[in-house]
Amino acid sequence: MKRFLRDNGLTLFFLGAFLLSLLGQALAGQARYNEQQLTDGGDPIPLLSYVGSSDFAVDVAENWQSEYLQFLLFIVVTVWLVQRGSPESKRIKDIGDESEEQQQMGAYAHEESPGWARGYGWRRSVYANSLGLVMGLIFVLSWLGQSVAGTAAYNAERLSRLQDPVSWGQYLGSAEFWSRTFQNWQSEMLAVASMVVLSIYLRQRASPESKPVGEAHATTGEEN
Amino acid sequence: MACLVACVVLGGAGCGVAAEAGPPRAVTERFFAALAEGRAGEACALLARQAAEKVAEEEPCDRALAGLGLPAGGAVREVAVWGDEAQVRMAGDTVFLHRYADGWRIRAAGCRPDPPRPYDCEVEA
Repeated sequence: MKRFLRDNGLTLFFLGAFLLSLLGQALAGQARYNEQQLTDGGDPIPLLSYVGSSDFAVDVAENWQSEYLQFLLFIVVTVWLVQRGSPESKRIKDIGDESEEQQQMGAYAHEESPGWARGYGWRRSVYANSLGLVMGLIFVLSWLGQSVAGTAAYNAERLSRLQDPVSWGQYLGSAEFWSRTFQNWQSEMLAVASMVVLSIYLRQRASPESKPVGEAHATTGEEN
Repeated sequence: MACLVACVVLGGAGCGVAAEAGPPRAVTERFFAALAEGRAGEACALLARQAAEKVAEEEPCDRALAGLGLPAGGAVREVAVWGDEAQVRMAGDTVFLHRYADGWRIRAAGCRPDPPRPYDCEVEA
């Protein structure tokens, strides 16, 4: 058990932090929602009803889609774009898809390589891009979820303001949808840009996200 | 969830969960039936508390509501339900409702569209 916890500590820590944060969002969101309900002459709702509401769903989904977009872009764009001196970047000479030997695939696969990396054809192509594909799929589904829950929440708000509801297509073209989307995207892009640049000059001792403390600023990627 | 996705994506603006359309529709029909048959007090009971208080600012709700001369509702053409809010479009009027703990109540009636601004309503909470 101890060994399991040690070997999976990173995943367990972030899963736990995720669940606690989601609970915090649900509790704070319910309190805010009920405050508004009382102001409008309505009735407060229990936590479970709030968690099942479109208001909660759109708030959750809009953050999820932006996080998965951030990681999708970071995973895919770093194949072709580099940053000299950043440990988040690969080496300048490795720009692009890299050789099969470097990627240990096909004829260069070894005994412990995953089965689909040893094979040929579509399986190898799919497996070689599976991380980006799955992150991309989760991004698209989260964004779709944001648009669907957003339509429902926006329409409830419009009806409460004595305005006609809109269709999903109209919502996709609305300022509300794009405001929610861009306000999340901008923060994700800033965070990645900061991480890439700050890690050139700053260090975090023993973190795999940092170069060793004494490494030169000019060292890029895995040279360190 | 799959139903909601299909409903929102494939349906129109009035898609709002057909199964939930019954209660707000019934309240609206009872409201206009009561008005048409001179039972304004019964119609007042179907108004949201804030709307009823606003109607009754200068005289009792039933007399004030009867005096407003709201248009006859007529046939229901479309019901949209989103969360705790609903809109019932009728041949002669558009009505907005809110779902309270004790059921649906009318928040606004006698509403004329005034796009892009909100509807202009004779009765409004």
